[in-house]
Amino acid sequence: MGALTLRGITKRYGTVVACDAVDLDVERGEIHGLLGENGAGKSTLMRILLGLETRDAGTILRDGRPVTAGSPREAVALGIGMVHQHFSLVEPLTVWENVILGDTGRIRRSRACAEIHEMSQRYGLPVDPLATVASLSAGERQRVELIKCLRRDPAVLILDEPTSVLTRAESAELFAVLRRVVRSEGRAVVLISHKLAEITAATDRVTVLRHGRVVFRSATAATDVAELARQMVGREVADAAALGLIPAAPHVPEKAQGDPALRIRGLTAPGLTGIDLEVRPGEIAGLYGAEGNGQAQIGDVLCGLVTPDAGTVEVGGVPVDLRTPGALHTAGLGIVPEDRHRAAVVPAMSVAANLTMKDLGTRVWLDRRRLRRRARELAAEFGVVATSLDAPLSSLSGGNQQRVVLARELSGDPRVLVLAQPTQGLDVGAAEDLHERLRRCAHDGMAVLLISTEIEEVLGLADRVLVIASGRVAGELHAAEATPEQLGMLVGGGAG
Amino acid sequence: MNLLDDLGTVLSSSLRLTAPLAFAACGEYLAERAGTLNISVEAMMLGAAFSSVAVAGATGSATTGLAAGVLTGALIGLIHGNLAHRLTINTFVVGLVLNALVLGLTSFLIAGATFGSRPPQRWPLLLLPGIVLLTWWLVERSRWGLELRAVGENPRAADMTGIRVGLRRRQALLWCGALAGLGGAYLAVGEVGSFNQNMTAGRGYLVIAAVIFGGWRLGRTLVGCAVFGLADALRLALPALGVTLNSQLLIAAPYLLALLAMVLFATRHRRPRALGKPFVRQEP
Repeated sequence: MGALTLRGITKRYGTVVACDAVDLDVERGEIHGLLGENGAGKSTLMRILLGLETRDAGTILRDGRPVTAGSPREAVALGIGMVHQHFSLVEPLTVWENVILGDTGRIRRSRACAEIHEMSQRYGLPVDPLATVASLSAGERQRVELIKCLRRDPAVLILDEPTSVLTRAESAELFAVLRRVVRSEGRAVVLISHKLAEITAATDRVTVLRHGRVVFRSATAATDVAELARQMVGREVADAAALGLIPAAPHVPEKAQGDPALRIRGLTAPGLTGIDLEVRPGEIAGLYGAEGNGQAQIGDVLCGLVTPDAGTVEVGGVPVDLRTPGALHTAGLGIVPEDRHRAAVVPAMSVAANLTMKDLGTRVWLDRRRLRRRARELAAEFGVVATSLDAPLSSLSGGNQQRVVLARELSGDPRVLVLAQPTQGLDVGAAEDLHERLRRCAHDGMAVLLISTEIEEVLGLADRVLVIASGRVAGELHAAEATPEQLGMLVGGGAG
Repeated sequence: MNLLDDLGTVLSSSLRLTAPLAFAACGEYLAERAGTLNISVEAMMLGAAFSSVAVAGATGSATTGLAAGVLTGALIGLIHGNLAHRLTINTFVVGLVLNALVLGLTSFLIAGATFGSRPPQRWPLLLLPGIVLLTWWLVERSRWGLELRAVGENPRAADMTGIRVGLRRRQALLWCGALAGLGGAYLAVGEVGSFNQNMTAGRGYLVIAAVIFGGWRLGRTLVGCAVFGLADALRLALPALGVTLNSQLLIAAPYLLALLAMVLFATRHRRPRALGKPFVRQEP
């Protein structure tokens, strides 16, 4: 009898089937991997378990008893606890306040602190109960999340992409704790991930979801990375290394030459200290680091969302006045920002309008016919799949939205292309396509800066890797000499 | 009259003019910590001023009048809470509508009625220290307050933890309404002894300015109230002291001061991150 058994869980959003008759068996004393691409239905499934979403059909059994959680609080009462992908901590509050949030009854600070202290000893999760969460690193926050969750004594512990914000060392530490939780306390752990290396290293059994369906299940020892990759994607994957599906092979760098097309000097802004960086025409420079170490801020500066406190940005050798809106664009810099909806598109406007937004001409009225033609050309060239160019952009899939952004940015023939987390949330096919286009851009002499938290993506694409930690450039490696271990050390060294 | 007497008069009058603001500010402070931004404080104060005078006149009891004011404020808080944090209508639109509605309604009702004047009742001033302490304890020490702060800073995290975000915000608005009602009722029954059309004259907005001036801390918020109260007292005292200034300009003084305070302080402090943002549970 499983600790947690799902039978025929189905959830539809309109015509989209997010979960299609999903069966899942999780036993006590095991780490169960739930593997799938973005959008395969993993998160929806877990939201149903937690009572954040209602299911259309199916049964959930906890220790053989049918249950339904109507809210996260009820899920806790049923012994189901979750550590979220992006932390559910309240930053201005202290650690102990966060841990007891959601309890009932009187607040007793000293007791809460003692409890946290005892738990951090037992699980090897050092944390200061009186610290403010805002002052903690990503790894420390993860520990707080774990303590908060384990304190409710869950029989089933769910972790949603827990390593996305962690360094390699922190990830290893996390998996060691999970082993202990499973072996000595007999809990069940569900580890949701899209990273194959993680699944094979940390889990006992694995279930693969694709397009909302269970397509494969196996003991982890009885399968291998190649099999899992094939099951997850549904076909052989050519670009497997850069997509993080398999370990990256050594990468032969392109020959970069000439003066830097993008030069950043002493860039200082909230979260960034004295960033120096150069990208030459014809090369892909990777900027790698764990989430929350300043990559997002560099992206924001190059988008024009943030005006830096100090430092200069030169495009093609000419300094750009960052206070002027659109200056970077005029100077010949194209950018695919991290958060599409915040900074790159207007979701309610048409696909055509989004495609031509940077190319409206300088006259008072718009040449609608020209814009229409331009939009059609771009959509065809970049393979944007849309029912109509007049459909709102929000009706497109994530991959196609990203193609629209890339098409628009490249339509201005920029010298420099900056991409921040370009494949986040994209399915494998769309990510492969994007990677291919990047390689071609660099081959044609564009300077490409790839900002990413995915080590495999950086190693698979970049000719040169810069590592950022705690808002500083912690080191630089050439693709030929960069290994995950070395990068991991640079990331950890800077963060610690 | 010597200088000392004048000073005493100005100080005591500024205390009495601060009190209505301070009562309401305790309420608004708590509501803003929960992430609600309700400009309907003005409506709460004005509605309470009217109902307290009406009930005090009818029953002959100032205490009953004050209670009616508290209830009126709480009722407006309840309405605002349900419109903004159950039906998720934009909180500023709700506030504007309530302010216009209460101003119109009280102006209409006062035109057809005479409540007469009653001697001021200043004893409710003694409630102020208790209310301040209670507000501080609720926000900083009680579980309810911890949940309010969580809701004001990161409603999604609070929701994940099992806290009902909308409910907490509605409760915060109820507390705000009751205290703003007490402030308005004190102004009418305690201080003036009668009701005039639009007698709060924007004091509700001053309360919001005081919370911003105070950087979302209770002590500094009360200092802000005192500054505005002092400006108001000076406005009343200066002509009597023989200083002649344009009276229109003097009436505007507290508001100008509030504007100045906002310009100087508004961006310096860390406000509750979810302040004024509606919470709707949605896709991750």
